[in-house]
Amino acid sequence: MNGAAAGSARRERRLEAVASYSLLVLAALYALFPIAWMLSTSFKSEAEALSLPVRWIPKQPTLSAYVEMWTLRPFGTYFYNSIVVSGVTALLSTALGALAGYGFSRFQFRFRTTLMAGFLATQMISGVLVIGPYFQILAAVELYNTLTGLIIAYVTICLPFAAWMSKGYFDSIPKELDEAGLVDGASRFQIFLRIIMPIALPGTVATLLFAFLLAWQDLLWALCLISIDEKRTVTLGVAFAVGEFVVKWPMLTAASLIGSLPTILLYLFLQRFYVEGLARGAVKG
Amino acid sequence: MATGRTWQHERRLGYLFVLPATLMLVAVLIFPAFITLKVSVTPEGGSGWNLTLIHYQNAFRDPVLLRTFKNTFAFVAWSLVGHFVLGLGLALALNQALPGQTFFRLIALVPWTIPDVVAGIIFRWVLNPIFGCLNPLLHAIFPGFPAEFQWLSSPTLAFPSVIFANVWRGYPLVMVMLLAGLMAIPRELYEAAEVDGAGRVKRFLHVTLPGLSTIILIALALDMVWEFRRFALVLAMTGGGPGTLTEVLSTLVYKSYFQFFTFEYASAMAILMSVVLFVLSLPYIVLVGREQ
Repeated sequence: MNGAAAGSARRERRLEAVASYSLLVLAALYALFPIAWMLSTSFKSEAEALSLPVRWIPKQPTLSAYVEMWTLRPFGTYFYNSIVVSGVTALLSTALGALAGYGFSRFQFRFRTTLMAGFLATQMISGVLVIGPYFQILAAVELYNTLTGLIIAYVTICLPFAAWMSKGYFDSIPKELDEAGLVDGASRFQIFLRIIMPIALPGTVATLLFAFLLAWQDLLWALCLISIDEKRTVTLGVAFAVGEFVVKWPMLTAASLIGSLPTILLYLFLQRFYVEGLARGAVKG
Repeated sequence: MATGRTWQHERRLGYLFVLPATLMLVAVLIFPAFITLKVSVTPEGGSGWNLTLIHYQNAFRDPVLLRTFKNTFAFVAWSLVGHFVLGLGLALALNQALPGQTFFRLIALVPWTIPDVVAGIIFRWVLNPIFGCLNPLLHAIFPGFPAEFQWLSSPTLAFPSVIFANVWRGYPLVMVMLLAGLMAIPRELYEAAEVDGAGRVKRFLHVTLPGLSTIILIALALDMVWEFRRFALVLAMTGGGPGTLTEVLSTLVYKSYFQFFTFEYASAMAILMSVVLFVLSLPYIVLVGREQ
């Protein structure tokens, strides 16, 4: 009787494993086949990309698409712009978010909880609701078609997340450290910069990553705030290449893949960290 | 420590710390939102405080806007269903600590790492009727399948195709959140249920689902807000076409403002869109507010 029960439990477990693996394999195929198709196309010549029958493995693999994206198109400039915009956005939003997070974590001031809720509420605002007036403002102060105008927008969008995340980390650092600093005669800002920030540094990785990826992947703001080729970001460059009369698919797929590479690598290296931070934030509400 | 003077001083310092972030949020998000509201009640090409509701009246009679609202609701609903089914299934499979689990988790996360625009472009190329890969693939599996199937220009299949791409793009985030929720359920609960003689289905219904309910709600609410605003994927994949069959609110407002320059009408549509989104997420806001 007992043996039979154990046997059926084992069979059930094996069945479960088989079902799980089937699902995982199917999902892996779903996740990867579009990317495999891009990869395959990017190694084809234009003639082969537009020839029948369709082939998964290029017959005459070539790197010409990966050369053309830098020579026929200014993808070098686009990359430079994306790196500047995303890098500065990550640093600035993390710094300003940490400042606000420290304020929320350490001080009791009037409207504190209201302000915190307000920060969160701004995340509900859709880009298309505010981008028109923001565009007009930028035009008025001559920041239209500049990376600065784009960076200011991205930093602001990331601030609520950055502030809430860093508040969470600061809450977990004992207040006695601040008080010891005060006793030693340090100012609140010195305490924030010299004592608390170094401890909270690992906690800022999630914020940096969030902001970098948001800025790197965005299309809407870049599309509305940049109209000259020299200031385009990678996503914008890719979007414009697909809008052209004759789409050069090998070059476009190569550019899309290279353009996704930074985010793919960042996610895969840091996903454990990112996911944990996200889960902690989400579980906390 | 908290004598009167230092306390006052401390309080002011608190404002100082949150000031830069607050100013930026006001300048970039809140002030422009009010400008949009004001523009939406301004006569076309007009200025000053000569206000009108004509754009809202037009909006309620606009078949394109109505169609776009329907599209957006369907887009959000189907995307959420896809994300949830796939996300929960994968989270359950990944939570069993099977060999190779990390490998599969990394692969399942890949679509999440692809920028929206690129996702739209990928699927446009995958679904290309002649040179794409899906038609030959389907033709190989089902020999009766038409060779040059027109996915994105077909009135019936354009919309499901966009959903197919958006499910691909969005399920990993839901999966990750549900997986985090599953890992947080204490193992003892399962063991206790097993001792009580609860079978697999009972354990799922009485341990897993209740333990996961909050995070499911949060994940779906967040996902809804994101999908409601989804822009680049649709723009890059179909541009809203054929006709307005795959148009969503973000792309419609963007086009009206930046391509057709009907600022006032675009603003009215943006306000309506935001009001609807706010109403839809009200239950979530109330829930989170109550829990805190």
